[in-house]
Amino acid sequence: MRPVPTVMAGLARSSGLRRYLLGGLLWLPTYLFPIGGGLLLKRLFDQLSGDRAADLTGALWLCAAFAGLEVVRGLNIVTAWAYGVYWWEAAATTLRVNVLRSILTARGAAAARLPYAPGEALARLRDDVSDLVQVTDDLVDLAGTALFGGTALVIMAAIDPAVTLALVLPMVAAAVLSRLLGTVIRRLHRRARRLGAAVTAHLGDAFAGILAIKTAGAEDAVLARLRAHNRRRRNAAVRDRLATDLLDTVTSATVEIGMGIVLLIAAPAMHHGSFTVGDLALFTGYLGWLTALPRSLGTFLYRLPQAAVATERLGRLMAPHEDVHDLARVSGVWFRRDPPPVPAPPPHPDPLKVIEGRGLTVRYGCGRGLDAVDLRIERGSFTVVTGAVGTGKTTLVRALLGLVPLDAGTITWNGRPVEDPGTYLVPGRVAYASQIPRLFSDSLRENLLLGADDDRLATAIRLAAFDTDVADMPDGLDTVVGPRGVRLSGGQVQRATAARALVRNPDLLVVDDLSSALDVETERSLWERLADAARDGRGPATLLVVSHRRAALERADRIVVLDRGRVAGHGRLDELLENCAEMRRLWTGELLIEAEEQADPTVR
Amino acid sequence: MHSPTRPARRDAGKTTQTTVLGCLRPGLRATAALAAAVTAATALPLVAPQLTRRFVDDAIGGASTRHLVFVAVGYLILAVAGQGARTLTAWLASRLAWDGTNRLRERLAEHTLGLDLGFHGRRTPGELIERVDGDVVAIAEFVVAFLLDVVAGVLLLAGVLVVMLTVEPRVGALLLAYCALIGFAMAQAQRLAVPSAARSRARYAALFGDIEERLAGLEDLRANGAGEHAVNRVHRASGRMYRAEFRSERIGSGLLAGTSVAFAAGTALVVALASWARWSGTLTVGTAVLLLQYTQMVRTPFERLIDQLRQYQAALAGVARVRDLLAERRTLPEPADPRPLPASGPLGLRLDGVGFAYADDGAPVLSGVDLTLAPGETLGLVGRTGSGKTTIARLILRLYDPTEGAVRVGGLDLRNADPASVRRRIGVVTQDVQLFTASVRDNLTLFRPDLAGDRRLREILAEVGLGDWLAGLPDGLDTGLGGDAVGVSAGEAQLLAFARTLLTDPGLVVLDEASSRLDPATERRVEAVVDRLLAGRTGVLIAHRLSSLARVDTVAVVDGGRIVEYGRRDDLTADPGSRFARLLSAAGVAR
Repeated sequence: MRPVPTVMAGLARSSGLRRYLLGGLLWLPTYLFPIGGGLLLKRLFDQLSGDRAADLTGALWLCAAFAGLEVVRGLNIVTAWAYGVYWWEAAATTLRVNVLRSILTARGAAAARLPYAPGEALARLRDDVSDLVQVTDDLVDLAGTALFGGTALVIMAAIDPAVTLALVLPMVAAAVLSRLLGTVIRRLHRRARRLGAAVTAHLGDAFAGILAIKTAGAEDAVLARLRAHNRRRRNAAVRDRLATDLLDTVTSATVEIGMGIVLLIAAPAMHHGSFTVGDLALFTGYLGWLTALPRSLGTFLYRLPQAAVATERLGRLMAPHEDVHDLARVSGVWFRRDPPPVPAPPPHPDPLKVIEGRGLTVRYGCGRGLDAVDLRIERGSFTVVTGAVGTGKTTLVRALLGLVPLDAGTITWNGRPVEDPGTYLVPGRVAYASQIPRLFSDSLRENLLLGADDDRLATAIRLAAFDTDVADMPDGLDTVVGPRGVRLSGGQVQRATAARALVRNPDLLVVDDLSSALDVETERSLWERLADAARDGRGPATLLVVSHRRAALERADRIVVLDRGRVAGHGRLDELLENCAEMRRLWTGELLIEAEEQADPTVR
Repeated sequence: MHSPTRPARRDAGKTTQTTVLGCLRPGLRATAALAAAVTAATALPLVAPQLTRRFVDDAIGGASTRHLVFVAVGYLILAVAGQGARTLTAWLASRLAWDGTNRLRERLAEHTLGLDLGFHGRRTPGELIERVDGDVVAIAEFVVAFLLDVVAGVLLLAGVLVVMLTVEPRVGALLLAYCALIGFAMAQAQRLAVPSAARSRARYAALFGDIEERLAGLEDLRANGAGEHAVNRVHRASGRMYRAEFRSERIGSGLLAGTSVAFAAGTALVVALASWARWSGTLTVGTAVLLLQYTQMVRTPFERLIDQLRQYQAALAGVARVRDLLAERRTLPEPADPRPLPASGPLGLRLDGVGFAYADDGAPVLSGVDLTLAPGETLGLVGRTGSGKTTIARLILRLYDPTEGAVRVGGLDLRNADPASVRRRIGVVTQDVQLFTASVRDNLTLFRPDLAGDRRLREILAEVGLGDWLAGLPDGLDTGLGGDAVGVSAGEAQLLAFARTLLTDPGLVVLDEASSRLDPATERRVEAVVDRLLAGRTGVLIAHRLSSLARVDTVAVVDGGRIVEYGRRDDLTADPGSRFARLLSAAGVAR
């Protein structure tokens, strides 16, 4: 359980350690006020049960003092709370931001760390983060109740040590019992969380795949599956809750039992008059508050294993070279003003001459992937990767860019080895337009720039053959696009992605099957503009393209033909047609399809 | 299997309010068991202070130690039994809450799945998860707490008041009046708090919507070096959430502190009254202790009640958002007199002066579209990106109803056709294939195990050329596929989509860009599958690649939401002045 204290320490410092400690100090008096309240009640009841007629005015003053004490406590709560909210949100934000920053920027292939469904990662950022913040927050509660408990026990021991000792013993027993229950609770909790995530994952899938479900009329089947997931989650959650409640009961019961013990042991003393009614009132009063000590200890003790689960689950989202220190690193929050803009990447001093991948190997579970693929791209060249479905074309470019982890192989930039392609082969060296691009619910401008300078925006849009589309949009570049904005067609999204990559003015532009959603005219125009720009230096000089289209293959300086994860041949199109059977097979297929229309449309 | 649109009619007479409550209402036996447990959990602690009073008065009165011990043991037994009853209540309550909220989740999911693509297009899956699951979790937590802390707490409070009224009517009456006053004040304050809690929850949902989008677009962000920038955006969204949260929590903490003060003032009042009664000699010391104990007993449930009030705000905000979601109307009205499409054979297709505009902006996407397709014929739709081809496809699939004109399939206006038969008889393969985090079998049948047996599934996979792929999977049809198509290339996903469509026996097939991500070698394999799919069926084929149109009978060229050219493919190809022929020659020049 070592990682949990580290995370908690980090969270305590997330909005400044001073703020956490100050907030804690603000809270502590809240726990101490009842000590005074108990002493006032003791005096009051001793007066009431005294032999001489009680002094009513004195008693009423004591009552007034009791009420006044609580007013001060109320003010204290409001002040400390406002402080606590800031700390709580700062701690939660720190965890979320650290995990996200790791996923988005740390070395290594990030996508491999994410669980299958996006809903699952989201559930961790929501529930596990809140678990960890909660346990750190509980620490203040624990300190407060311990402070109260300690003081109260000293006062009680001064009155009657035997009775006080009899009270402490069941509490110790409860604490031991809850330690023992800890492992069970940890297991139940993990299971409940996992089954909860299965529900969100299924829902996420269903909403993402709504078109397929609707057109197949499969809504009922999807709901039936949801019911099955729900049932499993319900059973696990009820069990999780029962275990937690049992622990809670054990701690509460100790206090009730303690009260019984007070009565039992105090009976003879009461009989002799050495234990007064005022003492009993004080014990009764303190006992109610003492409930909080085993309760908060119990809560803390069962949340600690939950926090360990949460730490582990969040840790799995972080890069392998990172540990809990990175998870809980104090990275700053910006709640009252905007965060400072991200500085532009410094111009890199080493423009591309040649990038080379050697023996690139990626093994997927089911025996596919890449097997010792070599790739060499020289400045100013147009390289095309081609091959049949599932032969590893996309995997090759993604492995080169560090988006999937390499099982073997090296990548060099101008002859020097690239340690982590995922963080090195980024703008301004390389930019990437992926096969299934995503736009965010934001303005088109924000989607294209993503923090980059806008001086190249117009050029990039023109190069990507996206300018007429932008002109047609209701608010031009300020149009909100993405899931919650204006619908763009598949081709528009791909051209937007190309523009997004071009804005970054990379040495090497990597394009994965960009042309697949484009019609003939738009596609031709796009390739011509890119070629022109490469010639006169307005665009990236070097291109790496995944494609099986004639237009791309004929333009290529170099083609890499993949077959089942291996290089079946490489070279110019005419060389390959000469000596590569796989290329001939692919080419005939493409020619057949593309020539059908021209040769004789009446055939078939 | 009932149709996806039928629930719309089922709800017609109900308000969404009763839907939420109806889902949460437990069964009779469960309610009875819970009621018994709650009663025990309330009654047992109520009896305990009576024993304390006996103890104090008897001790002062000089009773034997044996008698005092006897009373103390009785107290112990009561205390333990009370705790047991409380645990039982908690267990029963959480079972009830989960059953009820699961029903609500399922109801919401059903409703949301029935909403049109326009609705889904405007919301991320993450946002919808938050609304179907996150809001319901808040409600579930509250329901458990409600049964435990609110119902049990109020019962205990009532019990204490009743007992106090019997023991010491003056003090009891005062406490009753005091509780009523505080209860009223709390209810008023609580009403203030709801809107700010709703705002805070909305910000929370927005933050997670943002994060979800960033995670989905992870590779685009990383490869473009925009990771830090995305983190910055999350900082901003977190800041907005904090500001909403701060306002909402300030009200919540004020409530908590206010109650605490009010409670202490109440205790002081009771004790002052007891002192006065003791002074005037009408009250024993034991009764004074009893009054103090009861007053203190009220404190915990009262404070929990207030604590729950904050959860109640969240739950109420959740309920409000659930109601908003349920209030989203479906745009495809259920036919008054649904008639099934012909059960077998190819279906004719006719679009009569069809126009369409999305409800939210009203800008026309299609206008005056006329198309006629005899059963068994295949139509090719050609046009630039964004020209309206996909919208035509969605109208044919009845994902939307046209705003003008009519779409007729098998001679039947789709608005009058039985929706279940529409889903069964009209199939589609779309450009974006969504795979589910589920087995290959579930991905093919879309969770309908009765749709086809394993043998049929294997046959179909072999037919689309995925036989070897299936053989390479570790668990065959049971192999789990990832939501992000782990281990499945885009081309393979496309082939799986073909297999999905082949499984049913549609009479009309829409292929929207179906082969766009396939390379030539695989495409030739698929062509055979497409030929088989189209044999004896009516087809609508949308492709940017002119070569894909080799098999169509008629061609319609779409531009700016209108059909600008329409005729037999052979005639259009032969006429050098046609737009289609010019497109063909443009393709020839380009290549």
